[in-house]
Amino acid sequence: MSSPVTSRARRREFVAPSEYHYNRRSPLRWIISHMMRYPLFPAAVVVTSIINNYAYGNIQLFIGKGFDVISSAGWELSALLAVSLVIVVSALTQGVTGLLRNFAVVFLAQRIERDSREELYGNLLGKSQTFLGRQRVGDIMARATNDVRMINMMFSPGLMLIIDSGLALVVPLVMIVFIDPWLSLVPLIFTALLVLTVWDYNRKLKPVSIRQREQFGAMNAALQEATSGIEVVKSNVRERYEWDKFTQNARAYRDSFVTQGEIQARYWPMMAFAVCWGAALLHGLILWKSGAVTLGQVVGFMGLFSTFRFVTFISIFSFNLVQLGVASAGRILSLVNVETEVDENAAGHAAQIRGRVEFQDVSFGYDAAPVLEKVNFVVEPGETVAIVGQTGSGKTTLTRLVNRIFDATSGSVRVDGVDVKDWSIASLRSQISTIDQDVFLFSLTVRDNIAFGRDGVTRESVLHAAASAQADSFIRGFKDGYDTEIGERGVMLSGGQKQRIAIARAFLTDPRILILDDSTSAIDSKTEDEIQRAMKRISSSRTTFIITHRLSQIRWADRIVVMRRGRLLDQGSHEELLQRCEEYRRIFAQI
Amino acid sequence: MGFVLDGLETESYDRAYSDRQLVERILRYFKPHSRKMGVVAIALALNSIAGTAGPILISRAIDLVAQKAEVTVILFLSLAVIALGAAAWLFNYIRQWYTARVVGDVVLELRSEVFDHAIAHDMSFFDEHPSGKIVSRVTSDTQDFSNTVTLVVDVLSQLLVMVALTAWLCTISLWLTAILLSMAPVAAGIALAFRALARRVTRQARRATAVINAQIQESISGIMVAKAFRREHSLFNTFTANNKLAYRVGQRRDIVLNLIFPVMGLAAGIGTGLVSYAGGVTVQGNGMSTGDWFLFMQAVGFFWFPLLNIASFWSQFQDGLSASERVFALIDADPGVHQTGESVRILVRGEVRFDHVRFAYSEKEMVLPDFSLHIRPGETVALVGHTGAGKSSIARLVTRFYEFQEGKLRIDGVDIRTLDLASYRRQVGLVPQDPFLFSGTVRENIRYGKPDATDDEVRYAATHVGKGDWLADLPAGLDTHTGERGSSISLGQRQLVALARVLLKDPAIFILDEATASVDPFTEAQIQEGLASVLEGRSAIVIAHRLSTIRKADRILVLEKGHIIEEGTHAALLKTSGHYSTLYNTYFRHQSLEYIENFSHRFPEEPTQRQPAGS
Repeated sequence: MSSPVTSRARRREFVAPSEYHYNRRSPLRWIISHMMRYPLFPAAVVVTSIINNYAYGNIQLFIGKGFDVISSAGWELSALLAVSLVIVVSALTQGVTGLLRNFAVVFLAQRIERDSREELYGNLLGKSQTFLGRQRVGDIMARATNDVRMINMMFSPGLMLIIDSGLALVVPLVMIVFIDPWLSLVPLIFTALLVLTVWDYNRKLKPVSIRQREQFGAMNAALQEATSGIEVVKSNVRERYEWDKFTQNARAYRDSFVTQGEIQARYWPMMAFAVCWGAALLHGLILWKSGAVTLGQVVGFMGLFSTFRFVTFISIFSFNLVQLGVASAGRILSLVNVETEVDENAAGHAAQIRGRVEFQDVSFGYDAAPVLEKVNFVVEPGETVAIVGQTGSGKTTLTRLVNRIFDATSGSVRVDGVDVKDWSIASLRSQISTIDQDVFLFSLTVRDNIAFGRDGVTRESVLHAAASAQADSFIRGFKDGYDTEIGERGVMLSGGQKQRIAIARAFLTDPRILILDDSTSAIDSKTEDEIQRAMKRISSSRTTFIITHRLSQIRWADRIVVMRRGRLLDQGSHEELLQRCEEYRRIFAQI
Repeated sequence: MGFVLDGLETESYDRAYSDRQLVERILRYFKPHSRKMGVVAIALALNSIAGTAGPILISRAIDLVAQKAEVTVILFLSLAVIALGAAAWLFNYIRQWYTARVVGDVVLELRSEVFDHAIAHDMSFFDEHPSGKIVSRVTSDTQDFSNTVTLVVDVLSQLLVMVALTAWLCTISLWLTAILLSMAPVAAGIALAFRALARRVTRQARRATAVINAQIQESISGIMVAKAFRREHSLFNTFTANNKLAYRVGQRRDIVLNLIFPVMGLAAGIGTGLVSYAGGVTVQGNGMSTGDWFLFMQAVGFFWFPLLNIASFWSQFQDGLSASERVFALIDADPGVHQTGESVRILVRGEVRFDHVRFAYSEKEMVLPDFSLHIRPGETVALVGHTGAGKSSIARLVTRFYEFQEGKLRIDGVDIRTLDLASYRRQVGLVPQDPFLFSGTVRENIRYGKPDATDDEVRYAATHVGKGDWLADLPAGLDTHTGERGSSISLGQRQLVALARVLLKDPAIFILDEATASVDPFTEAQIQEGLASVLEGRSAIVIAHRLSTIRKADRILVLEKGHIIEEGTHAALLKTSGHYSTLYNTYFRHQSLEYIENFSHRFPEEPTQRQPAGS
């Protein structure tokens, strides 16, 4: 590593090669430290922007000079030609510096986007499984795509426009002072009025704009609902009701649209400009009359003053972009700065797991809401346990306590008699595998996906694993067989097929405890048979927790754990539960 | 940058209406507001005059003070400039104020009308047009239309200023005006060329970015798996490669997009230099005054940047017309279902008779070539068959969602075409595969079919779905919020709510399209109990996917390609070893308890290595 190692780095599980060190103390500092990685570019932006504005101002000045030339008696065309040429050269300078400035900003903005995305990703890879197991993929995706993009837009066009419009105010002003210091009076007054009126305009407009956006969203959402649920609407004869609801929304939108139009119509900055424009003319001409400036200089002054006209429009939404960028940076940092709480416990218990799992009075909850309450049961090595319950009854959370994605808030979970908190995390997790409900496969070949967990896997072992998982026949059915690529560029697999490939993968890694989230059911009996067979094979000779809806899995499990609203309702074998538990009997009564 | 990227999202669309028809139709919406539009027109004209007069006054002022440099003259001229500026501001204010009102009202009217027509269309329309597209026509396309109208007015005002100024400049020097005007095609050319380039680059970038984003998404979704197998490094390398690609694509796109303003500024500046020299030549030849020369210098600015907008005007206008056309197409769509208008009202008992009904979904898709069926009041009929056998078409012909081409469909002996649809549909209950719930409470959703039901009636219906204990499993019972489309509660619970809705409505005919997705065993048991409650005492057509449902039916119909090929009870059909048996073995066998009991016998080759089960 080429960067200083902090104490935090020691607790990370992965460190990206050649990592740059950023300041993560606050969103603003973080953004600036990203920007200062390329210090030449911000400097280039400011310098080119100054020259750019100066060049434009110069054109105005020379228009004034040209006026003086043609107003003087007996003037030569060559003198005018010189003036015109200077104008052309200034225009070229203006154009070139404008392009350079834009390129510099784009480069900087894109680089920062790339760098922050890479930083976020490397950081995430270094986080513990505990932390990651609790995140929602959608949230992380939003940070990695939208938030990172917002930071890009904060620079381009956000900051670029702010710097440019700021300089478009300052540079002409300075040039006016150089014509005659007194001339800067009206421009300064105008600047003050401009700031005041723009601030007032923005203040009035913002809540209305927000309200309008919200109402558009509400109108859209209500409409989307009525259209998606059209069957329900029609079969219940509620067309008129839905129309009333929609028109109300549309009317509310119209009202805020009109209000926004009114505010936009009453754009005081423009009035301020009109008044100051006339005042500038007055002031200029009076100074001319007193002999302090030439008429051409008055003309140049008016030209420089007119540049202020355009400053007003840009600033408003560019401040908004900066705000959004900082907010996005905050969100990214909140993810990056999280420290993993669970200690690796490298000195903890490490042994080959036999597979006895005990839950003793286990309770778990987020904040005040309990998810699990006083759960008690024991699983012997090699047993297959089926966990049944309604959605939200705590089934998945229960299994996550075994490999310490979560820690019980009270009670204890023991593996082979040792509390999981006393196990070394590395030893514990390397022997426990999870197959999720939504199986994740990479867009690699089937073979590479099956062999993902192990190095140096032979072709035979891949085939053997696939056969055991009842996946071999459908894989051979693909055009390229085991070399078929999975995913959007290749073959899209069904849920059952993905599951069996994950099971094949698990055969190769041979965990001591397997957690299978199988909350699906097949539509056709043939696939059902295949899956049953695969699951039976993988769960023999290891302790297996199966979260399932399939009645056959429930019926033939060694032990069944019945969860209801976070509590263990009952547990035992199928025969025992049929006798004891009325709830359980209901399940099998309907068939 | 809006003018560049407008219309990038527009798909190619077959124009059914001519431009002229569209414009005429659009103007009809503006007719009620003709007085306001008149005010807008006048304000527009006056604004343009004031806007043009400003620079002219200044140039005149310069000429005047060059001769008579008196303070009163200076003061007067300056005040006149202020007055003109203020007047321009005032007229602009009036114009925008009225325009906002008119546009707001027209769009509201349009939206209201579109929705009214859209929701009245029959189901075949909604099958053809995904709901997203319909929504975008009612809200986004009308929004585009609104933006286009505002754009037209803005462009008109800029155009007027240009025309007025040009007219005045012509009176001063024709040839100099010609030079000025010759810059217009150059500006337009730059603007259009840039627009074409920008659109191409943006389109390419969008395609590339979509692919790259998908790969980045995969890298992120796969973090957990990669960590579980200690594969962080290879994943990181894949990620950084994609990230670099995204960077290059984005950079190329943004550089192109940021070309336009510097280039335009450059061209405008060169134009200024040109005019300054040519103007000077004219002044020297006594063709015009120095004040006029300054006027021409000001005019350059007036020409260049408005030209940016005007150059892209035509295509934006076309986009606006396309948007309005999509809206009108929605309004004008032909209804499929035709009632005779007799609007007969009956108290439905539940007898349904199909008499040689012929139904084709479209010209190519024949679904029911010749279908006949008699359902007695109170009978439960289960439909089974492969996908495309015609099951859901039959069910939806009974709700009168589709029109059939030949034959007769009678309810209680009355031709369905003569019925008053509103009265009839209130007596038919439908539960589709994935029941749709509106965002609100469970109570409101149950009440949806019978808005005037009391709370007691709602509670009665809910508690009579099976044993009613499903309410206790909801976080807040009847007041539980269902979320958008019912997503806050599980699929199984959504089905229970839909069943309660039907119970409350108490229809004579019940139609169920059973869900195929899996539901946990407890909720499944509740649903089956609930179904038993609903099936009692009314006619029912069930598209069955559950063995338990089939067993409850009075009659099972086996369908293939729109024909009933077998008919009977479950036990009787199994004995015949015909088509039903095959279906059973393919789709239902694994659900039967008998089959489940034989599980261990089916895998004889597996040695049972299990440890003895502990207690």
